[in-house]
Amino acid sequence: MYNLIAVELFKLRKNRSFWTLLIALTALSLAYPIMYYVDHQSSGEPQFTGAEFLVTFIASNAYAIKFGAAALAGFFISNEYATGVMKTIASSGNTRGRLYTAKLTGFAIGVMLVSLVFPIVSTVEVTLLSGFGHLPEGSSEWFIPRVLGLTLLYTAAFAAIGALFAVILTDSGKTIGVSMIFFLMIDIVLSGIGSKVEFFGKVYDYSIFKLIGEIGKPSIDRGDMPALLLVPLLTIAVCAMLGIVVFRRKDIK
Amino acid sequence: MQDYVLRTNQLSKTFRGHRALDNVNLSIRRGSIYGFIGQNGAGKSTLIRLVTGLAFPTAGSIELFGSSEEKALIQARKRIGSSIESPALFPHMTAGENLEANRILRGIPGQDCVPRMLKQVGLQGTGKKKAKHFSLGMKQRLGLAIALLGDPEFLILDEPTNGLDPMGVIEMRELLKTLNRELGITILISSHILSELHLMASHYGIIHRGRLLEQLTATELDGKCRQYVYIKANDSDKATAVIQHELDTADFEVMQDGAIKLYNYAEQPSKISSALFSAGLEIEKFMPMGEDLERYFTKRIGGDPHV
Repeated sequence: MYNLIAVELFKLRKNRSFWTLLIALTALSLAYPIMYYVDHQSSGEPQFTGAEFLVTFIASNAYAIKFGAAALAGFFISNEYATGVMKTIASSGNTRGRLYTAKLTGFAIGVMLVSLVFPIVSTVEVTLLSGFGHLPEGSSEWFIPRVLGLTLLYTAAFAAIGALFAVILTDSGKTIGVSMIFFLMIDIVLSGIGSKVEFFGKVYDYSIFKLIGEIGKPSIDRGDMPALLLVPLLTIAVCAMLGIVVFRRKDIK
Repeated sequence: MQDYVLRTNQLSKTFRGHRALDNVNLSIRRGSIYGFIGQNGAGKSTLIRLVTGLAFPTAGSIELFGSSEEKALIQARKRIGSSIESPALFPHMTAGENLEANRILRGIPGQDCVPRMLKQVGLQGTGKKKAKHFSLGMKQRLGLAIALLGDPEFLILDEPTNGLDPMGVIEMRELLKTLNRELGITILISSHILSELHLMASHYGIIHRGRLLEQLTATELDGKCRQYVYIKANDSDKATAVIQHELDTADFEVMQDGAIKLYNYAEQPSKISSALFSAGLEIEKFMPMGEDLERYFTKRIGGDPHV
């Protein structure tokens, strides 16, 4: 299993799309705070501190996570069907379950790295410009590790969904398109149906799509924490199992 | 030690109602070079894909190195190197990086096998050139190098000479023969270039419309290929008349250039030559010859020559 994960990480390191995504996000993460900084300076408004910026804009990171999961699912997983590399992988003498698990692990690590770019780069940049300031009232010293930890956990859950699309669709264009539409529309669809049918409202409330918005809250009630942890873990488990089932039955062309 | 590296038993595969493989019983002896012959869509690649685990049989079973149980089959595939349909490469990686990725995938310790393989297939000088910029021939060589990683006991190659120049074809043939002779690697090779297969295969399998028509050894094939005498005379009409009346046979063919292939009297060429000389014919060419694999294959599948 170690060698299967190692080769996924090797491929991730050599994947141009991954590096393009990282560089583009880094550039955006550097540009975004600067625009605020210049704007606030010219209007005389007080500048954001690093802590304020993180708390205010962490929710926007969900877009980077969704985009990263969709793009990498296409370029990192589905593309291997087009190049034929999936044939070499599938005929390497390993079970399909192990191959899928290793692929999901490598892919999730890639999207996790993407998910950390915005919170880390922007916060560090704003801190350098205006200082870190103070964390919001009610938050503990665990706020930043908690935010980053939950960001990674939710990213892994989105990656599990992206990998499932990739293994079903096996075409990079279709995977990126369908994943993007799914990730962008699912909130609207579930909240819309949920407002009319209570069951769907509950499903949406306890889905990673809704709960990802909660991870940047300064304080989280003790009672909310299990759901915040269990929902992404269950999403990962269910999507990974579905992905393995699909991959085990799939003829590789 | 098992006698066979691969045996299939009533192996069938159906795609949306179309039977791509129909009860195939194929067997490949250890140490052989098995030439797998068939037209496009005959089922060659489908069988290879089933053997390598890329697809699953609809019915029947596969036995690799004596094992047919599912888990043992997966393990047995670690002993196989393959290049199927087109070389499977990471286009944005160099030749060395492609090999390195496959080395890690197969869990092969030490990196020294990478330059050794590059040298073996003549790609040691490609440096930082990405695989996507390789010619088809270079990609084929890299595909072979990947298949050879980990010193497989059984090599499965689907059209490995596609895109190779004449020298590349010869080098590939010699390399495969060396691997077979010196390392004892069993090779299953499918190719459209039957004359090329004829130069290296020790066994043949002929597949047509999903059914394995015949398996035979190179010796059996030579025995089955009909012997004939190739005759080029100054007057082909007169020559055919002499053959028909003096030798009393109609078992011959007249080629477009007037040359004659006479299938009778191949064991008695002097009888033919004296009949032709007696009729006052001048003979430009007179050679005892044998049918080639291409002709035998065409005949075996019923005359359709599109391999």
